[in-house]
Amino acid sequence: MNPLDTRLPDGLRIELNDALKDVSRLKLFRKLPGYMNIWSLFSLIIVILILLPNLTILINFFTQEADNWAHIQEFILPDLLKNTSLLIIFTGALTILIGTSLAWLVSAYDFPMKKFFKWGLILPLAIPPYIAGYTYNGILNYTGVIQSTLRNQLGWEVNQSYFDILTLPGAVFIFTLFLFPYVYTITRGFLMNQSASLVENARLLGRNPWEIFFRVVLPISRSAIVGGVSLVLLEVLNDYGVVQYFGIPTFSTAIFQTWFGMNDLNSAIKLSATLMFIVFGILILEKVLRGRKKYSYSQAKVRPLAPIKLKGAKAWSAFSYSLIIFLLGFLIPFIQLVDWMFLTFDKIASPQFMQLIWNSLLVSFTGATAIIIFAVIIANFSRMHQSILSKSAARVTILGYSIPGAVIAVGISTVFIQIDNLLFSFYESIGMEPTLFLSTSLFMLVSAYVIRFLAIGYNSMESGFEKVGNKFTEASRMLGMNLTKTFFKVDLRMVKGPLISGFILAFIEILKELPLTLILRPFNFDTLSTKAFQYASDEQIHEASLASIIIVLISGIAIYIFHQVLEKEPN
Amino acid sequence: MKNKWFLVSIMLIVSIFALAACGSSNDEGSSNESEDTEESTSDEGSSEENASQESETGGEVNLYTGRHYETDQELYDTFTEQTGIKVNVIKGDDDELIARLDREGKASEADLLMTADAGRLYRAKSQDLLQEVSSDVLNNNIPEKLRDQEGQWFGLTKRARVIAYHKERVDEEDIQTYMDLTKDQFQDKVLIRSSSNIYNQSLLASMIALEGEEKAKEWAQGIVDNMAREPKGGDRDQAKAVAAGEGDVAVMNTYYLGKLLKSEDQEEVKVGEQLGVIFPNQDSTGTHVNISGIGMTASSKNKENAQKFMEFLTTEEAQKQFAEANYEYPVNPDVEPSELLKSWGEFKEQDINLSKLGENNDKAVKIMNEVGWK
Amino acid sequence: MFIQIEDLCFSYGNSKNNTIQNFNLTIEQGEIISILGESGSGKSTVLRLLCGLETPSCGKIKINDQVMTDDRRFILPEKRGIGMVFQDYALFPHMNVSENIQFGLKGFGRKAKQKRVQEVLELVNMESYAKRYPHELSGGQQQRIALARALAPKPSLLLLDEPFSNLDADLQIKIRNELKEIIKQTGITSIFVTHDREDSRAIADRIITMRDGAAHDWNSICTSRYDQKANQKETVTIT
Repeated sequence: MNPLDTRLPDGLRIELNDALKDVSRLKLFRKLPGYMNIWSLFSLIIVILILLPNLTILINFFTQEADNWAHIQEFILPDLLKNTSLLIIFTGALTILIGTSLAWLVSAYDFPMKKFFKWGLILPLAIPPYIAGYTYNGILNYTGVIQSTLRNQLGWEVNQSYFDILTLPGAVFIFTLFLFPYVYTITRGFLMNQSASLVENARLLGRNPWEIFFRVVLPISRSAIVGGVSLVLLEVLNDYGVVQYFGIPTFSTAIFQTWFGMNDLNSAIKLSATLMFIVFGILILEKVLRGRKKYSYSQAKVRPLAPIKLKGAKAWSAFSYSLIIFLLGFLIPFIQLVDWMFLTFDKIASPQFMQLIWNSLLVSFTGATAIIIFAVIIANFSRMHQSILSKSAARVTILGYSIPGAVIAVGISTVFIQIDNLLFSFYESIGMEPTLFLSTSLFMLVSAYVIRFLAIGYNSMESGFEKVGNKFTEASRMLGMNLTKTFFKVDLRMVKGPLISGFILAFIEILKELPLTLILRPFNFDTLSTKAFQYASDEQIHEASLASIIIVLISGIAIYIFHQVLEKEPN
Repeated sequence: MKNKWFLVSIMLIVSIFALAACGSSNDEGSSNESEDTEESTSDEGSSEENASQESETGGEVNLYTGRHYETDQELYDTFTEQTGIKVNVIKGDDDELIARLDREGKASEADLLMTADAGRLYRAKSQDLLQEVSSDVLNNNIPEKLRDQEGQWFGLTKRARVIAYHKERVDEEDIQTYMDLTKDQFQDKVLIRSSSNIYNQSLLASMIALEGEEKAKEWAQGIVDNMAREPKGGDRDQAKAVAAGEGDVAVMNTYYLGKLLKSEDQEEVKVGEQLGVIFPNQDSTGTHVNISGIGMTASSKNKENAQKFMEFLTTEEAQKQFAEANYEYPVNPDVEPSELLKSWGEFKEQDINLSKLGENNDKAVKIMNEVGWK
Repeated sequence: MFIQIEDLCFSYGNSKNNTIQNFNLTIEQGEIISILGESGSGKSTVLRLLCGLETPSCGKIKINDQVMTDDRRFILPEKRGIGMVFQDYALFPHMNVSENIQFGLKGFGRKAKQKRVQEVLELVNMESYAKRYPHELSGGQQQRIALARALAPKPSLLLLDEPFSNLDADLQIKIRNELKEIIKQTGITSIFVTHDREDSRAIADRIITMRDGAAHDWNSICTSRYDQKANQKETVTIT
């Protein structure tokens, strides 16, 4: 018996017992054994690791007065809001239109070269938007190939405004062409496996293809579209390279300007926080729009949609549409880059480039590996436990995606330097010179990648686990395997596809990543993207082409593998 | 076919783990090294082969630089050849490097900070990130106004912010000062980059220093009123827009014009050839000049090497290389600028201490925001 | 008593209503029990609570005099020694039949494992299918393998969740009889959940119906029709 009981008066004892019962009703105690496992521990550690750098930023937000905030609100903010919303609305609408229409064509019809377009249309992801921006301006401007041909061959002086891409519509054009594959891939995956019965029904009911597209396909693939387009919008909000070059003030340019131009970190953080609110708004909207998606999945048996063979004019228009998007989104800028590469090849190419490639691959591989391991841990944890911790862990993964790279860089290096400072006394006690060890190592850079891109790996793993469900895990536990053994023997095998595709997507993103790499890398450490940027920022776009091309080629190969994995997935 | 690709991806995964392991051992390696020797390279990254040898002979020096020119690397290599001192480099954005230095504090590995703008050096100094260097070599090689009075930073190269005009459409006589850009004659004819560009910020900051905030704001307002289009693109794009007829006059740095004229792309050369150069304000305050410069960090652990490196960069040999390779003006008066720059003639420079650029930077940014300079 | 369930309650997530409410049940060793109920009546949840895949909010479960869960203890599912056949079988698609069955055989030597696999395959009449993969089997075959897999580690209790719901009607009857045969052969205590009265009647020694999250004796609802069987056992308590 509880020793307390004997000493307490009866009335109180009854109350106490009731209270204890309440506690047990809260399942707190009863749930404990389930929680006390290695997964929750790891997830907690990861969450803390991710939150720390962001918290250091947020603390500033609440504690510091920002001198220029009033000035910013009056002169800058209205413009930012206007530009940002225009970019988001138009890029969003156009990526949906292009992404879903192509996804639909490719999944529901057969036309010439469709096999190639299936993955060829993902290739625009291989070109970082800022390189695409420079390249298109190089093609279209006064000295570009189009105008100089017109001028020199035909003697035409054309109106510049027709060829001016450095505008807001121009930025929308760039973002749409080079980000639409997010919508395309996710929607196509959905249409391929989930839509067959609905679409076939609609066909039997005598609807024409347009009606089917607008009244059946769009509504049923809504959740997939929303998932894809929210990735696009986050990329747009986080972009610095394109908007800076195009002269379009957005949040990311304003953050840089207030931070460095006005030397006012606190206003910059307030701007970041405002941006974060917008991002969370989008994410919540995504959740709401996705709604009860979970229920639509698992039950029905997966049956692929049987494509209809198009003939004659229809086949050729489907082909031309796909071809035009492919040309604009990949081939044309790629050819231009190759052309520039030949202009400067002798000057630029050196054995040093092998080192750059190696460095790029090294950080991309390690970063993507770390990301996918962390993503698996958190996704597996939040799948097994429906708790506040697991839910917040899942939400936290998106945090890094919503904050500008430069701000993450500040947060993470602050944390690492503090850890190093803590280590100082340790170094001194063993008679060593104090040095910054962690904060000057590749470790810091890779950690930053993890924080920035964990969401990509996590989304892939989450949907992978969602598709498989819990039944195999439960079956394994009923056969006497504990959680950890089950994880390695069963769970991991079940999500091989999402594991590889999540890894590849994270790999590509890191390969293209710029601001974090630029500011957090160790001494003498250059990657392909810092090299490309180094030239591009000095307006030496020709010289930047070799590094850019290698980035595009490596990403292209990765995308091809990604596509193959995706094709294999449904079995 | 599919199986093959699956195999490939499996192999990829395997190699990742190998890489990850190798990456971490790399870090360990460097940690050991930093235990043994004072000068620790954090990562062997690009040039591990010769690192060990050189550190025995001449040690090393760690440089944060905001200059990204390929030719700078050649200078570093020359220095290493002559002295045996290895130069470790982190390239980055000026502002971000300063922010990084600030956070790293006294434990920073960096010995030197090199930026492409005097205002940035001023800011680094005011954040106590730099320390004084007293060197007769430096003081002799660099004119007084191109270095900090307390010896905390030194200019290495000069670039002038000039006006380029279309030779056929504009009469040189009409455009002699920065103020002339705001004349009605150039309504919708002026091309200039966005206000986020540090060169424009420094230009306006120099005007604040020379003529006061009010005058500077008037000028900025006049520029905005006369803009041919919303500010966009880089300096080269402004020149191209003049050639294309979008406007008649453009504000740009000298070396960008140099690069246009020496471009591999014939079309760009043609653009450069259509343009004339004006060094503004020759009869009054002089043309705006900015520098890229260098300072020793407060935390420097290789002071001697760092000073040697700074001195090396101001020698005639190094200055010549700066001048030839990147169309910048050397700070060392004994070194002649490149042929191209000489062909544009000599000019009178603004006579202010460059610290003013840094002091007035945030005022300049605010003014630009207020007048609607995008 | 082999199995004792006392005052069990449970609710999913944030739902205010308890899915299981004051559930009481005792089972004798070797009995075959059927839990009959409409979908949503909480019958599958009882199985999940029994085997430890869900944690009850109150109540107590004892199996073979060992407490599985009460206010102080909770035995993890993998430690309970209960076998389960899932509604959709959950055969691991990346393992063949033999590997699937071996999966649960911990602490067996390699020889012993193979022997046991052989035994259970014989039991379910699937000896020649050891090297097949699950997707190469028909629904009925998959079900038999799932049963073999669950029986292989010699559990003290076998749970079957809607074992016939994925089978064609004519196959259902055949399999049903086979299943009863196999279970009787092993003498294992079994509980199976179904919504089909015919299934219940065909297999079970005793039928429990679920309503409002509690167990009711089949007898109390349909006395007139199944009086004989139901009267034999009166262990079900109604709360």
